[in-house]
Amino acid sequence: MNPLASIFKGWFAIRRDLSAPRRVFLTAISFVLPLSIWCLVSYVDWIWHPDIKLQISSEREGNSTIFTAGDHISPSYYKEMVAATRAENTQLLAAATPPKSTKRANQKLLRQLAPIGIAHDWLPYTDAQNDAAIYHLWRDIATGAKVPVEPALSAENLEIVKKNWAQLAPVAADFSLSSLPETPLLKLIPQGLPANPVFLPAPHEVWRSGWRDFTSPAPAGELTMRQRYQHSLRVILLGFFWSCVIGVPIGVLCGVFDFFSKLFEPFVDFSRYMPAPTFSTLLVAVLLAGDAPKIALVFIGTVFQMILVVSKTTRLLDPALLEAAQTLGASPKQMITRVVIPGILPNLYNDLRILLGWAWTWLVIAELIGVKSGLTEFIETQGRFRNFDRVFPVIILIGVTGFVTDQVLSWFHAIIFPWTSRGNVFSKAFARLFSPPQRVAAKPVVPEGSLT
Amino acid sequence: MAAALQLPSYLDQSPEVAARFQRLQERPVALEVCGLTKTFATNRGTVTALSNVSFSVHKREFMCVIGPSGCGKSTLARVLAGLEAPTSGDVCVYGKPVSGPGPDRGMVFQAYTLFPWQTVKQNVMFGPLMSGVSHSAAESEARQWIELVGLSKFENAYPQQLSGGMKQRVAIARALANQPRVLFMDEPFGALDAQTRCQMQSYLLDIWKSVDITIVFITHDLDEAVFLSDRILVLDPHPGRVREMIEVPVPRPRHNDQLFEPSFMAVRKHIDHLIHPPGQDHQKESPVLRLVARDPDVQ
Ligand SMILES: Nc1ncnc2c1ncn2[C@@H]1O[C@H](COP(=O)(O)OP(=O)(O)O)[C@@H](O)[C@H]1O
Ligand SMILES: [Mg+2]
Repeated sequence: MNPLASIFKGWFAIRRDLSAPRRVFLTAISFVLPLSIWCLVSYVDWIWHPDIKLQISSEREGNSTIFTAGDHISPSYYKEMVAATRAENTQLLAAATPPKSTKRANQKLLRQLAPIGIAHDWLPYTDAQNDAAIYHLWRDIATGAKVPVEPALSAENLEIVKKNWAQLAPVAADFSLSSLPETPLLKLIPQGLPANPVFLPAPHEVWRSGWRDFTSPAPAGELTMRQRYQHSLRVILLGFFWSCVIGVPIGVLCGVFDFFSKLFEPFVDFSRYMPAPTFSTLLVAVLLAGDAPKIALVFIGTVFQMILVVSKTTRLLDPALLEAAQTLGASPKQMITRVVIPGILPNLYNDLRILLGWAWTWLVIAELIGVKSGLTEFIETQGRFRNFDRVFPVIILIGVTGFVTDQVLSWFHAIIFPWTSRGNVFSKAFARLFSPPQRVAAKPVVPEGSLT
Repeated sequence: MAAALQLPSYLDQSPEVAARFQRLQERPVALEVCGLTKTFATNRGTVTALSNVSFSVHKREFMCVIGPSGCGKSTLARVLAGLEAPTSGDVCVYGKPVSGPGPDRGMVFQAYTLFPWQTVKQNVMFGPLMSGVSHSAAESEARQWIELVGLSKFENAYPQQLSGGMKQRVAIARALANQPRVLFMDEPFGALDAQTRCQMQSYLLDIWKSVDITIVFITHDLDEAVFLSDRILVLDPHPGRVREMIEVPVPRPRHNDQLFEPSFMAVRKHIDHLIHPPGQDHQKESPVLRLVARDPDVQ
């Protein structure tokens, strides 16, 4: 057959496994595809950039709506704004006697430059209204001590910065409201770039912000990302732990004894339809602020599912094994400890793995109740400022944590329960390290006939 | 050709065989079943699985129970093992009434019931450990039983790594390690291929010879029943009733060549007639077959 044709053959066979190279290829594609779509959407303007994302705010006399840096506006409105602001500036420069302005208006005008400073890390993001720092930023940019690059200032705006600073510098070297001029300063012309309408930041922005947030020390009075991460892990693990402590024994009892099944399961079945977040105010009222209500929420969110899933898993154990144990003289107690529990462990382990994944959903809600905390608090705050480039790294961190935990746990499955699978590379290496050499690892080779 | 072969009556016994049955009769009764009836309440009414079944098995006898599918063989085994309570009637093992599962009666099931999380050795140790034998004693005991079934090399393998025949050998070893007085086997070789089944049969006879055990073996395979047993209990279906208790006139020790001996064939044919009465389902013609033109070579 034509070798090219054979490449395209056999990708869609019903319930047939693909060859190993094809599987690896598709696995790679499953990550590469969304990433490339993200890159295309971010970097190729003509694909999907119907909005303008502002880098420098736009505000006008008599226009009550103020668009700040990060806001999205339509291209036509953007053009209108730019033209109008330019006209205002020209009018100001042409006027024989400059109109009166308040110092407050000029103070606000100076703050237009703050987003540029924050984007370059010259200002901490909490300093958007730190006028003293912003005043020095004007000086530094005007004198060329600091050169904005990402985003850069347009030549037009750079000119405005210089002109304004020429007016400010002789009066005061440092900011004070009283020394601001009483004539209007020139306005920065709105500046922005085409953007997609979903506030999806570009990969490099996410990477840059993520790196900065994860490595830099925390602003005063706040936690570092590592501390937030540890806090989140603590809440989820404790909530999940208590859920296991309560849920697993009850689930096993329900699976083994019809008595417990009928006693617990109807109510549990009902309870799981009551959304856990609706208990949040109650939990905060009872358990007060701090971690307790959050842990309790993760607990409530997972424990009912856990009881049902574990009881189902317990019921799936082959009853013939229990009968075999009975004929071998096992007492009811021995049947539970020696047959039921070891028999369900591999499936139980997988159930808990899946439930741990769900617990992350509850964590996000839990961290928002009472005093917001952890990674979610960061996501919430930054999301409000529309700093989605700082939100995404945290979301990805949560995703990676969940995914890696799950993969590692599934690899450990083969070590802890060697009888359930043919094993993976990891578990085979482990077995070689810790087991006596006579262990049989493969199908027997002795023919049946050699017995008689 | 077949017509030319004159089979003896299945009741004809050589003097040695007759004498052996005489001696067996004089042994103590290992298992006694009296008027055993078992009904199941289902949502389509009561199903009578066993109706007034009575028989007894003597010490170290090998008895087979045969009958068509659904005639209550498994139900009988489960009642004898104590896994189901009889609706009426009694089961006694060496004079002691059975009221539930117990270590005095072992059971080997058709489905593989080895504990998958335990190695071969741990599986065999299960029974002794349950009855409070120390770990080391149970271990050395288990080793002997594993050796008896020829699986010493595999004592650390998991059941998943064994073939079907090996699994059933472990199941036999596991049941025997508990030192039961009677062993019930419910179609233990039913899932094996014909060749392996053959080996397992001679193999089981070897074990039976060397272990002090009475065996009640359930099967629906005629050759298996005749080859293995001293006596065969034939059950009638719907409801399960004793049709006949047959003494197998084939002398022991048994070997595969006996399959074509007249005494063997005579019993085999008799049971075949009991289970599949001639002129019933063999002559049935399905409408589909009538569509095919007669072929003299295919008859
Ligand atoms: N637990 C049960 N509930 C209801 N009917 C049953 C049950 N077990 C067996 N039976 C019925 O009893 C009859 C005998 O079944 P079984 O002992 O399994 O037959 P065999 O093993 O000879 O094939 C069948 O008709 C079956 O439907
Ligand atoms: Mg059956």
